[in-house]
Amino acid sequence: MSGGTATVENPVEKKLREEAKRLLADKKVDVIVGYEAGTLPLTATPCFITAPEEADKLVWNPCCTQNLAKFVHDLLSQHHEAQKRVKPEAKRKKTVGVVARGCTTRSLIIHLQEKQYGRDEVVILGVPCGGYVDNRKLAALAGGEEIREGAIDGSEVVVKTAKGNRKAPLGELLADCCLTCRFNEPVLADVETGKGTPVAAADKEYEPVGAFENLPAEERWAYFEREMAKCIRCTACRNVCPSCYCRICFADQSQPRWVDIGENASDTQLFQLMRMYHMVGRCVDCGSCTAVCPMGVDLRKFLKKLDKDARDLFGHRAGVSLEEPAPLGTYKETDKEEFIFNPGGGGH
Amino acid sequence: MTEGQSAKEWEPKIVAIVCNWCTYAGADLAGISRIQYPPNVRIVRVPCTGRINPFYILKALQEGADGVLVSGCHPGECHYLTGNLAARRKFAALKSFLSYIGVEGDRTLFTWVSASEGDRFAQVVRGVTEAVRKLGPAKKLVKKLPVAQPA
Repeated sequence: MSGGTATVENPVEKKLREEAKRLLADKKVDVIVGYEAGTLPLTATPCFITAPEEADKLVWNPCCTQNLAKFVHDLLSQHHEAQKRVKPEAKRKKTVGVVARGCTTRSLIIHLQEKQYGRDEVVILGVPCGGYVDNRKLAALAGGEEIREGAIDGSEVVVKTAKGNRKAPLGELLADCCLTCRFNEPVLADVETGKGTPVAAADKEYEPVGAFENLPAEERWAYFEREMAKCIRCTACRNVCPSCYCRICFADQSQPRWVDIGENASDTQLFQLMRMYHMVGRCVDCGSCTAVCPMGVDLRKFLKKLDKDARDLFGHRAGVSLEEPAPLGTYKETDKEEFIFNPGGGGH
Repeated sequence: MTEGQSAKEWEPKIVAIVCNWCTYAGADLAGISRIQYPPNVRIVRVPCTGRINPFYILKALQEGADGVLVSGCHPGECHYLTGNLAARRKFAALKSFLSYIGVEGDRTLFTWVSASEGDRFAQVVRGVTEAVRKLGPAKKLVKKLPVAQPA
């Protein structure tokens, strides 16, 4: 791979490769899902490693974007499905290793809470994370030019384009979700590869949501309408989301057809609205959906509200504890019910 | 549909999704007791509020309802013990999210009406109809907006 990031001394990456090699050599895992250098500069792409000698392909740097929990779910659910057609004596267990940052471990915890696979089927290689580079901010840095070479040198990003070099501090290129992330360390890990990442400005987490809430309703609706008008319903957000794993998505169902095909704006609005609603207390704010969106829809503005609501209404934060069930899968007798319509007061 | 109707003639169209055991029986009681309430509600009976897919509510709004009322048993009185408690959480999140994106809060209303509360059912329907009437015809999330009448 000629692309990727010029490697400065990276102790986490070194440890990660060693541990991956050991796990594969000891046959503790069948496959490791990680990142390898992408074919373009300053990119990394998910990879699947099955042999110890391939472990040196693994990279860990701020270009590793996607939440890999999605692939863990895909691999294991396909395996479970395949095992149904196997004789009992030939049944085989599959163990998946995964390179997981804070948000990825939270997604894995959501899968475990929702009993998608067993804790023994996944080996988590925790990596500390200081945030990843947002592809749009990077493109803006390059001024829309093609990036020919790039390097992350400590806390500075340098890109080389046809119109010369440009540089910016890494902090300015990080994705929005990383800027206010409080999960810089894995929540759950079987193998640790490093510690001591600086914590982001987590106290500002809900500031954009609060600001949006204070706008007049008509402005909020206009914003929603405008953002949804960009959506082409390619469903990339759904396909990349680790919490979206229904075998048949409501958007693909034909009986009933919840979301009509066609260009009516309300269908797109409903698709997005409903997909987002499924994320109540299940969105880990990994930013994968916004990163893959080809139209740049501001999904985070809405998803973050659901995160805030899960906290405010149900005292729940997505994927931080194995014991806690999903907030909409449970209830408390003391749940808030100020929203209940009660004309004339009194009542029961 | 409100097509071809002038604003003067407009009457709110409300879909009421109610549970079989409490609110539907309450509506029945209201009818048997001959309690007057506005004819703007179309009742959809479901086994339990816990069975309601939040998509029902959104679909109703999309297909031309001006308001949606969801009503079930009071907390603690669910025929299936806890269906309404699970529903309460779903609705709390849905309502909050809808108002966040700018849909008027009174378009979607949730309440509890027991089988013995025929008068309360009538009161709720009156309240919902008035609340929706104040908002006017729904324009958000609607698939087919009424065509403006040529003068």
